[in-house]
Amino acid sequence: MDYLAYLLPLFQPQVLWAIALGTLGGIVIGALPGLTATMGVALLIPLTFGMPPVMGINMLIGIYIGGIYGGCISAILLRTPGTPASAATVLDGYPMARNGEAGKALGMATIASACGMLFASIVLATLAPQLAGVALKFGAPEYFALALFGLTIIASLSGDILKGAISGCLGVLISCVGADPISGVLRYTFGVSGFASGFSFTPALIGLFALSEVFTQLERLGRTEETPAKVSGRWPSYQDMRESANALVRGSLIGTIIGVIPGTGSGTASWISYNEARRTSKTPERFGTGYAPGIAATESANSAVCAGALIPLLALGIPGDVVTAVLMGGLMIQGLAPGPMLFETRPDIIVGIFGGTFLATIFMFVFGMMLIPIASKILLVPRRILTMSIVVFCFIGSFAINLNPVDLYTMVGFGILGWGMQKYGFSQAALCIALILGPLAEANLRRGLLQTGDDLVAFVSGPITLLFLGLTVISLALPYLQARRAKRAAA
Amino acid sequence: MNKHIIMTAALIGALTATAAYAYPDRPIQIVVPYSAGGGTDLSMRLLAESMQRHIPGATVIVRNQPGGGGAIGTSAIIHARADGYTVGAGAQGPLALLPHLGSADYTLDDVEFIGLVGRNLQVMIACKDAPFTDFDSFMAYAKEKAPQIGNSGAGGANHISTEAFAKAAGIKVESVPFGGSSEAMTACAGGHIQAMVASPAEALEQVKAGTVKPLFVEEEGRIDLFPDTPSAKEKGVDFTWSSWKGIIAPKGIPEADLHILRDGLKAAVADEEFQKKMNDLGEFVQYEDADAYKARARHDSVTAEAVIKDLGMYQMNK
Repeated sequence: MDYLAYLLPLFQPQVLWAIALGTLGGIVIGALPGLTATMGVALLIPLTFGMPPVMGINMLIGIYIGGIYGGCISAILLRTPGTPASAATVLDGYPMARNGEAGKALGMATIASACGMLFASIVLATLAPQLAGVALKFGAPEYFALALFGLTIIASLSGDILKGAISGCLGVLISCVGADPISGVLRYTFGVSGFASGFSFTPALIGLFALSEVFTQLERLGRTEETPAKVSGRWPSYQDMRESANALVRGSLIGTIIGVIPGTGSGTASWISYNEARRTSKTPERFGTGYAPGIAATESANSAVCAGALIPLLALGIPGDVVTAVLMGGLMIQGLAPGPMLFETRPDIIVGIFGGTFLATIFMFVFGMMLIPIASKILLVPRRILTMSIVVFCFIGSFAINLNPVDLYTMVGFGILGWGMQKYGFSQAALCIALILGPLAEANLRRGLLQTGDDLVAFVSGPITLLFLGLTVISLALPYLQARRAKRAAA
Repeated sequence: MNKHIIMTAALIGALTATAAYAYPDRPIQIVVPYSAGGGTDLSMRLLAESMQRHIPGATVIVRNQPGGGGAIGTSAIIHARADGYTVGAGAQGPLALLPHLGSADYTLDDVEFIGLVGRNLQVMIACKDAPFTDFDSFMAYAKEKAPQIGNSGAGGANHISTEAFAKAAGIKVESVPFGGSSEAMTACAGGHIQAMVASPAEALEQVKAGTVKPLFVEEEGRIDLFPDTPSAKEKGVDFTWSSWKGIIAPKGIPEADLHILRDGLKAAVADEEFQKKMNDLGEFVQYEDADAYKARARHDSVTAEAVIKDLGMYQMNK
């Protein structure tokens, strides 16, 4: 009964206001390229100083949840991922918007985000202490095996295996720029101090997906005057929902698990989920052409990561990603150090946070659905004006992240690269996956070998490592085996 | 003729207006060379709020310029226009370490010190399942075998200070670099490394939960949060280390404005509300004037230089 009493403070009008405002602000922040959920939370922490803990923390969680969701808006409408988490949403979201189904794509994304969040919040509220143990099982070899498994997505995502492999290798090479994770030596910076941390991730993605599309549009502009796309509707059809159900469930599950593992993040979750949805679909060829389940898979996964990442934070005092690290600061400033003890000493706070994630999810869903017709009006802007505005957004967004002019070169460079890749059939998605997972694989391979004294057998001996390495082999071999069986059956 | 007089009068008027301007008449920026949300960033945001209350007429804002382990933002501070409107967070890594690694385009001599704001005390902890539980068993183990000690980044303060301790104590260690202290803490709580150096606030919850054990603190004496944990010094190893942050500025700020800044900072750090918030955040507030701050930076820079040379990392990124 105590628990219900702990939930009551959440329903005071000013607390509800704070959560609603945080969520709405988060959505706007997430939708604007260059402003991330992390920055939103960090900038608003001082505002929460004077608030009671449950109110302040839940406002921050609202920003977090809204911010991760908001990223899909610009990804779908403008092919500009507002957050790294939504890069995978571009694949099906943008084609849907181009086909005149922008409203439906956003509706699907909103429903999927809410599903993922709800699922992960329930897991958070019921299993947090038990699941938190999983977070601690991951040492360097386990992270490496997970990253390697993730990298096999490249093989199945790119139609042309050779071109996919080239894109993937290029991505891994590009991710080598910057400080070496083990020795600290600067690699391939050519003496430019701005590259000391490597290419900044968000500017690179903005260039890769958004600026490259601008170039492609420019090529077409002179030739044809397009009619503005239709933007009607916001609810996916029954047919869409039925086809997406599988993707939603898998995405929520994958997102929650990846969220629990510290340091992997929502980008990884969305790609793995997208690949799983495609692999298990009856019509894999429709993915990438504007297929609703593609959005369902990525958005459910990256939202589930939010609540999933709260599990190690609250249960162990270990932040899984940058945003939760910032949230931890917000908690500590209230005099509440997260960790196993917090469950015993301040159950009111823990229950308040659980309740807050549910409320923020509901607000996210309502605001998201309300904003769809307003946001998708942007597509009514004549194509040539819109295209030029996107260029402006690309530059402002890339600069706003770190205030580092070098990021602008990164963005333009990746824009040209992405345009060339698109033109000659190389997968931008493969490059993006390699950029996310390459550094995770490298750092953990080398850290693990350092710890085992370069003993490969000791390195791969853990059960979780073997599990993921096994999955890697299966996911690489399965298409071949299936093709052979099909051939034999035909013969 | 009349026109001339009016012009001259206007000119004189403009000049006196400039001379009589009161610093600060526009926002003062604190450049933080790390991303928004980290320990240094949050401290500086609290400080900005406090400075605003203690420097009459001032608006103080924080600007994040992360990258290169702090080198990019710190360089931006040192090379900013010396008008007193751009100051920044001066942290140990970028000031005392990075110049020796060759990854900075400045040295300590280019820095105008305003004042120290706080220190991060350091406590060495034994991770889950480590074969040692206190200072003596740790030293006994480390005389035989090199314990795997995690740090928050290769060439960072956490790494260099651990190597410096090993040098002072005459033991072997194997440093395992991670991408940030929370990554290292995750590995530590999971038992994937044997020890690490953490800030007391970071370690406290894990110690209370029994996952990790404090071995020793790197202060002169014992500290409040861990009254039962010895300092390395009382155990006979002459070694102290703490990381720190303060406010620095480019050289060449007018003397009068520098005074306003220094006095304002001193009052802002002494502010009760600021101290309380910093305490809750797990930060250790300690004010030092410009000279003491400078001496502290120089001292650590000399220690770090020797260790970095031993590790073969001297000027490696030149």
